[in-house]
Amino acid sequence: MPKILDFLKLVVRIAQVRPRFLLGYAIVLVAILAGLMAPLFSAYSPVTADSSHFLQAPSRAHWFGTDAVGMDIFTRTIYAPRIDLTIAVTGTLLSALVGSFIGAFVGYFSAGRGVRVHLSYAVMRAADVLQAFPVFVFAIALVASFGQSIETVVLAIAFVNAPIYLRLMRAQVMAIREMRYVEASLVAGLSDFKTILRHIIPNAMTPVLAQLSINVGWAILLTAGLSFVGAGVRAPTPEWGSMIAMGFQNMVTGQWWPSVFPGLALAVTVFGFSLVGLSIEVFADPIKRRALVRDLEIARRRAPPAAMSGPEGVLTAGEAP
Amino acid sequence: MRIILYIGRRLLFIVPQLLGIVLVSFLLVKSIPGDPAVLMLGPTATPDAIASLHRKLGLDHSLPVQFWIYLKNLAHGDLGTSWQTTRPVLEDLIQRFPATLELVSLGLLLAVLIGVPLGLASAFNERGWLAGIANFYGLGAGSLPDFWLALVLIFIFYTTLQWVPAPLGRIDLTIVPPPPVTGVLTVDALLAGDWQAFRSAAGHLVLPALTLGLINAGPILKMTQSSMEKMLQSDFSRYEVLCGMPRRLVVRHALRNALPSVVTIISVLYGFLIGGAVLVEIVFSWGGAGQYAVQGVLNSDFYPVLGFVLFSAIFSLFVYLVVDLIYFAIDPRISH
Repeated sequence: MPKILDFLKLVVRIAQVRPRFLLGYAIVLVAILAGLMAPLFSAYSPVTADSSHFLQAPSRAHWFGTDAVGMDIFTRTIYAPRIDLTIAVTGTLLSALVGSFIGAFVGYFSAGRGVRVHLSYAVMRAADVLQAFPVFVFAIALVASFGQSIETVVLAIAFVNAPIYLRLMRAQVMAIREMRYVEASLVAGLSDFKTILRHIIPNAMTPVLAQLSINVGWAILLTAGLSFVGAGVRAPTPEWGSMIAMGFQNMVTGQWWPSVFPGLALAVTVFGFSLVGLSIEVFADPIKRRALVRDLEIARRRAPPAAMSGPEGVLTAGEAP
Repeated sequence: MRIILYIGRRLLFIVPQLLGIVLVSFLLVKSIPGDPAVLMLGPTATPDAIASLHRKLGLDHSLPVQFWIYLKNLAHGDLGTSWQTTRPVLEDLIQRFPATLELVSLGLLLAVLIGVPLGLASAFNERGWLAGIANFYGLGAGSLPDFWLALVLIFIFYTTLQWVPAPLGRIDLTIVPPPPVTGVLTVDALLAGDWQAFRSAAGHLVLPALTLGLINAGPILKMTQSSMEKMLQSDFSRYEVLCGMPRRLVVRHALRNALPSVVTIISVLYGFLIGGAVLVEIVFSWGGAGQYAVQGVLNSDFYPVLGFVLFSAIFSLFVYLVVDLIYFAIDPRISH
């Protein structure tokens, strides 16, 4: 228990010197909770049209107004993370898993001799080709050729992002494979495969983790974009991109609420994920982490003398006006 | 001489890469379900008519043979025919690609004009209020969905303020477009001396270019800021400061060293935006190349998609080549 308490104190101190990290985690948490507990916050159904109350401006009964077929926009906006976050997180995790796994092997075998070298060279050139594609058109074509469904949107996101992780992991592994502990592992009799799995990949994961959160943000944008052109999640499933698309014509004629609210929710969520990504980058990068530790120390010394007694003091100092 | 050798080597690598791109996109596009013959003839077509159209389109051959035929036609400059527009894809793309280029180039120019000064200003004063705004903007701009920002701008500047023309196409329907020379409407109007057409075309260009500019200023700002900060903190800058050199000179030297990374991010964005501006094109009914390709995917119209992928790949490769040549000019370490 004291360990958890210490950890919480550290979190509070970091939040004091880097408030935007706190903002990022708060946004992500709110988005996840909104999705999970959506039925608690709204009495309306997210997919039932009510033709007698269409295009109503925001009011006490409908906080964000209603759309062209009379669905409550607030309800749909808070239900949307269920779809958007699930697709984005699954797609990103899948691409990170597959991309970094292949990248580790490509990096490990990229020097030396034999078939494996040629194979890893071929993989890199294939990655070149995939990355030369215009991302959005590539994603639409993927969804179109595998048939439009939530699973194929996940697959398209995974496919489009995998080369990023492949490159990241390859660069890391190429530096790590020269380390002594890798030689030691090989001398001790572990196979290449086991060495990569047990000793190289765990030591090369940091930049991948920092990339993950930023990538979830991109993936949300891509999901919404696909749905916006009608190649992703189909209406009436509550999804931010397709909601914005539904409000397109209303926006031009002056009813701003059907598009503005889901777009805001989308932008804020992506912003939250990029802040979280930024924080992971700071924790993982030794130079940036040193700057953070320095700022923590400065904040501690600036606190009033009573606060100098220990971490509890820092905590109370933060709560004082 | 060295430069010519370098370009020659680069061009040599481009050919297999383009071949790979064409192969992958061919396989991908061919796996999209939907039979163009059925779509062209409509639901009342007889099986005989469909079979004969298959023969005419070359769809009765096996996939490798079809690919070989496509490559052979490609060598003659024939990119196939779009069944939606019933015109050769090459003609369609030559008409639409300048529209996309016009939009993307102006958008990127705006992004540079917003991003670089803000990035520089915040790099000089890390703790000032301007740096605060720049930091927030750099993070926030990338979070905005471009198609949504486009709609918001339409609501503000068209629906509410009535400052710009309706977001439908590149020029007012009542105005006769200038005779096509470059395909870029604003330039063509100026060449023809048609002031009215120029005003209309420029008016239609404002909002989509602003959308792209506002969003893509984010990454440019971040790159300018971080590379400038790094250069000002590096050993050579500190040494110059220690030697008592005027601040103006220190900044100028740092700027020169920060330039390559700024040029890199601009070129990456340029290559990306050719296909990445699709959603903005759709919102403004721009009729550009990206929109053409998306229509193609959604309607099983294969050749426009292939043609677009090929065009944009060649364009990105061209941009990267030009950027490498710019490196030659601004980084003496490379040219020596």
